[in-house]
Amino acid sequence: MKRTLTGPVGAIVLIVVLMALAMLVAGVSPVDGFRALIVGALGGRNEIGETLVATTALLFPALGICLAFRAGLFNIGAEGQLLVGALCAGAIGAVLTIPGPFGIIVLLVAGAIGGGAWGAIAGWMKARFGANEIIATLMLNFVAAYFALELVSGPLRGPLAAGAETAWLDPKYWLPTLLPGTRLSIALVLAAVLAVFLQWVFTRTVFGYDLRASGEAPEAARRSGINIAKLTWLALTLSGAIAGLGGATIVTGELHRFNTQLSPGYGFTAIAVALVGDLQPLWICLAAFGFGILESGGLAMQASAQVPKDAIHVIEGLIIFVLAARRYVATRVEGGPV
Amino acid sequence: MTALLVTLIVLTLIKSTPIIYAALGGVISERSGVINIGLEGMMAAGAFVAVAVSFATHSPVAGVLAGIAAGACFGYLLAFASTRFKVDQIVAGTGINLICAGGAAYGLVVLFNQPGASPQVASLGTRYWIMIAGAFVIALFLQWLLYRTPWGLRIRASGENPSAVVSAGLDPLLLRTYAVVISGALAGLGGAFLSIGELNLYSDGMTAGRGFIALAAVIFGRWNPLGATAACVVFGFFEALQYVLQGEVAWLPANALQALPYIAALIALAGVTGRVRAPAADGVPF
Amino acid sequence: MIGREEPALSLRGIRKTFPGVVAVDGVDLELYPGEIQALVGENGAGKSTLAAIAFGELQPDDGEVIARGAVGLVHQHFELIGRLRVWQNVLLGREPRRGWQIDAAAARARVLEIAARYGLEIDPDAFVETLPIGVQQRVELLRELDREPAVLLLDEPTAALAPAEIERFFTTIVQLAQHGTAIMIVTHKLQEVIAYANRVTVMRHGKIVARALTRETSVEAIARAMVGGEVPAVVERAATQLVPTLHVKDLVAGSGATQLNNFFLDVRGGEIVGIAGVEGNGQTTLADALTGMCEYTGVIERRGTLGVIPQDRHLEALVMNWSLVDNALLGRQHRKAARRGLTLDRERARHDTQNIRERFDVRAASLDVAVRTLSGGNQQKLVVGRALIDGPDLVLAYNPTRGIDIGAGALVQSRLMEARNRGAAVLLISFELDEILALADHVIVMYRGAVLGSFDRAQFDRAEIGRMMAGSQ
Repeated sequence: MKRTLTGPVGAIVLIVVLMALAMLVAGVSPVDGFRALIVGALGGRNEIGETLVATTALLFPALGICLAFRAGLFNIGAEGQLLVGALCAGAIGAVLTIPGPFGIIVLLVAGAIGGGAWGAIAGWMKARFGANEIIATLMLNFVAAYFALELVSGPLRGPLAAGAETAWLDPKYWLPTLLPGTRLSIALVLAAVLAVFLQWVFTRTVFGYDLRASGEAPEAARRSGINIAKLTWLALTLSGAIAGLGGATIVTGELHRFNTQLSPGYGFTAIAVALVGDLQPLWICLAAFGFGILESGGLAMQASAQVPKDAIHVIEGLIIFVLAARRYVATRVEGGPV
Repeated sequence: MTALLVTLIVLTLIKSTPIIYAALGGVISERSGVINIGLEGMMAAGAFVAVAVSFATHSPVAGVLAGIAAGACFGYLLAFASTRFKVDQIVAGTGINLICAGGAAYGLVVLFNQPGASPQVASLGTRYWIMIAGAFVIALFLQWLLYRTPWGLRIRASGENPSAVVSAGLDPLLLRTYAVVISGALAGLGGAFLSIGELNLYSDGMTAGRGFIALAAVIFGRWNPLGATAACVVFGFFEALQYVLQGEVAWLPANALQALPYIAALIALAGVTGRVRAPAADGVPF
Repeated sequence: MIGREEPALSLRGIRKTFPGVVAVDGVDLELYPGEIQALVGENGAGKSTLAAIAFGELQPDDGEVIARGAVGLVHQHFELIGRLRVWQNVLLGREPRRGWQIDAAAARARVLEIAARYGLEIDPDAFVETLPIGVQQRVELLRELDREPAVLLLDEPTAALAPAEIERFFTTIVQLAQHGTAIMIVTHKLQEVIAYANRVTVMRHGKIVARALTRETSVEAIARAMVGGEVPAVVERAATQLVPTLHVKDLVAGSGATQLNNFFLDVRGGEIVGIAGVEGNGQTTLADALTGMCEYTGVIERRGTLGVIPQDRHLEALVMNWSLVDNALLGRQHRKAARRGLTLDRERARHDTQNIRERFDVRAASLDVAVRTLSGGNQQKLVVGRALIDGPDLVLAYNPTRGIDIGAGALVQSRLMEARNRGAAVLLISFELDEILALADHVIVMYRGAVLGSFDRAQFDRAEIGRMMAGSQ
């Protein structure tokens, strides 16, 4: 009972309430606003497809962030890791000449390796020098963005590309469509399987146990024989790899090329997704769907109800705040020895 | 060559200034025991509000003051959340970054009805030199404040061991609140310099991670105002260098060069951490 | 003297509850100028809560506190700032000023003046973190004395002091009392109560259960009142076969005041070796080196398996938000027996935890509650049980009974003795000399990271060991 009230469901209720308030402030009836949002997000086959595309794009980085957070590492560089993963997939995909199914796997692996390598830089800095991972991962976002721009403006730029982007992938390297007639690919299934897998890793495996111990009580973890430096490095690498894999699925499943504009800040919104999902992979799936509705419905809402889409980011920030405060209030109420 | 050198020095000063303000905010906040991850957002808030007020009043000075106030408000939000509600400082700071960046983007649509960037507004013009000099003056002032005055001693004590501050009959949470509000005000000032000092408009993402570079500068500068200022000048130099190189050396990759200040911050972060000691209670809720 | 004057501090009908516990339950207490009153009781009896209420740190739910003059409190864990100077610590919040700035010269003079008044030696410009524990306590005391308190509360003031320093400390305290300060000492060291206090008040379960003049009572009587019955006995020492298990030679590790200098020791299966020493003489470095938690040079040879009881159960031993089952696995999760392939054997973990719960009397609502809901004694029993459940060949116990009640302490000591009796080698590092003398077969005195002397059980000489702990050879 208490779990439901203070858990992720409560958070989602809270989002709805806050959004209603935001609409009222903007002078729009919440009924109209939500109607626009819901119709825009779920009103038809295409709308549902777009919502699930956004859900997928958010779910990967959110799961990556979740893994790092569980280890006590604040990875706010999912945006950069996602971008590097996408870039690797896009760059290789543009020149690949092997059979389709293998090619897809190669591209996804390339994305994971790219994102993982980007995460590993921060992991190595933290493990080797103790460098603050928050600052490091954030700096790396900018480095990734500028390098990607450099590469796709020059050497990797597709011969027929209109802007800063790679050549299109051969259709045999496109991820199969999940919902015919929409852009939704089987990446969604992949993400869901990954969430279940992570849940299993956290609750059942020795690695998951070590990871959670390091996050909850680093000193006790160290004394229990866990190599914290190695775990830090590994957690940030895996975290980056998951975000990078997400980037690769955007390239192979949705855009079919790499473009520097491919993420409208998925890596940052994913922080809110992970926190709203209470750092539990299965709840994160639900949270990602909720934020997917906001992402895809937000545009429709902006067009038909004049509520700027950017209001959503303000709400995300507020949600993070309220959730963190609520956790404190909940522990106070539950009590226990002081 | 001389002309180039002068350009480089001037640009270094201009590019350092906003980071110095933010880093000084970071120093005072961390010395009191609160890690201000929200500096980035507070800069954005300062930058946007400065433009909005300058637009409304046609007075860039009023704009700067409003920018300071905006930063201070978000500083208070962080202080309130982290002291009264024991919200994790990192989480709260991240929340503030999202709120401010989103809020400014929302504001562009609501106020100017143009997403992406504001129209041009009245800027400080050549008076921005006062703000550049002001950054260094404030750095000296904070150095004096932290190391010579009773209030500075108490702030440092709050960042080292807040229980000891309680034993001395003082309220560390109140001290932290003051420090974080000042921190936000300074970040807001840095943001205002970005928008109506150096330029004359606000555009989405214009803070470009400077709040985080400032945090790296705090560490590089060993948590003291003058050290952090020196670190900011180094980072500012790399940003200036990138502009100068872009203009002068055609064969260099222009986009990759823009990553220079961030790479410098990363290297500084890796090189210096482990050899410096943070305040003992930095980031530890009380 | 007592009874004629107005009390300097009176507590009337004090009641304080925390969620789920009544910490202080209707206490009346009076403290007179010039007296030294001891407040004793088991952990969790409510004495620290009462001291915090008297000091004004906590508000009582009910009752009133009347103090005539300022109340000072010297904390058990000093509330000092290591990176600030002595004068900055002493005068924090009351800094002498010249204009906007701190007048450092005046501050130094003022610290020297108070120190001289009470015969305390101090360098006002020293950084506190560079000072030995005994001197740090002087800084803490000076801070309180600067406020000229009418009432001075001392919370476990001698916990970290060597016997000689304790004597010196009480000289100052007695002098203070003679000047008319009312002094209350919260402590568990009953010998000191008898030696230095005028009056003793005993608390149990939040209530006052006994009051006496110290000249009319005894250590044994106070202990019985604290426990509410007889003090439980520790398991008897049995004859054992000695087997070389741990060999340490030329050990150098750590830095600064806690550096180990050519430390050596041998522990054999079937014996308890006690490391006697005052806190901060390298014990932590030794424990860290033995458990591989820090780098070292020299020889550490160990035979068989190791069970560790870390010093700080909150920070080093337990994950407070986790269940008993998950915590019972910590440190054992990498053993082959604990896993099935990549996954953890949950059933086995539950079974082991249940075993620990029964054999070590860990009182918890279930195996699945978070350990933060357990009392300190039960948490410690879980930590001890976890270290001993797999029958290790070597046990490293660092302050295994610190901060827990007498009953739990006796159980922990009994289990350690049983481990020894079945042939395990036990290395006991403790700041409580009495604990070491009670349990050890062999005592090594540690001072500034080196071995200063060693004694077999037959030659134990409390006074001699005490002198060595303070550095005299």
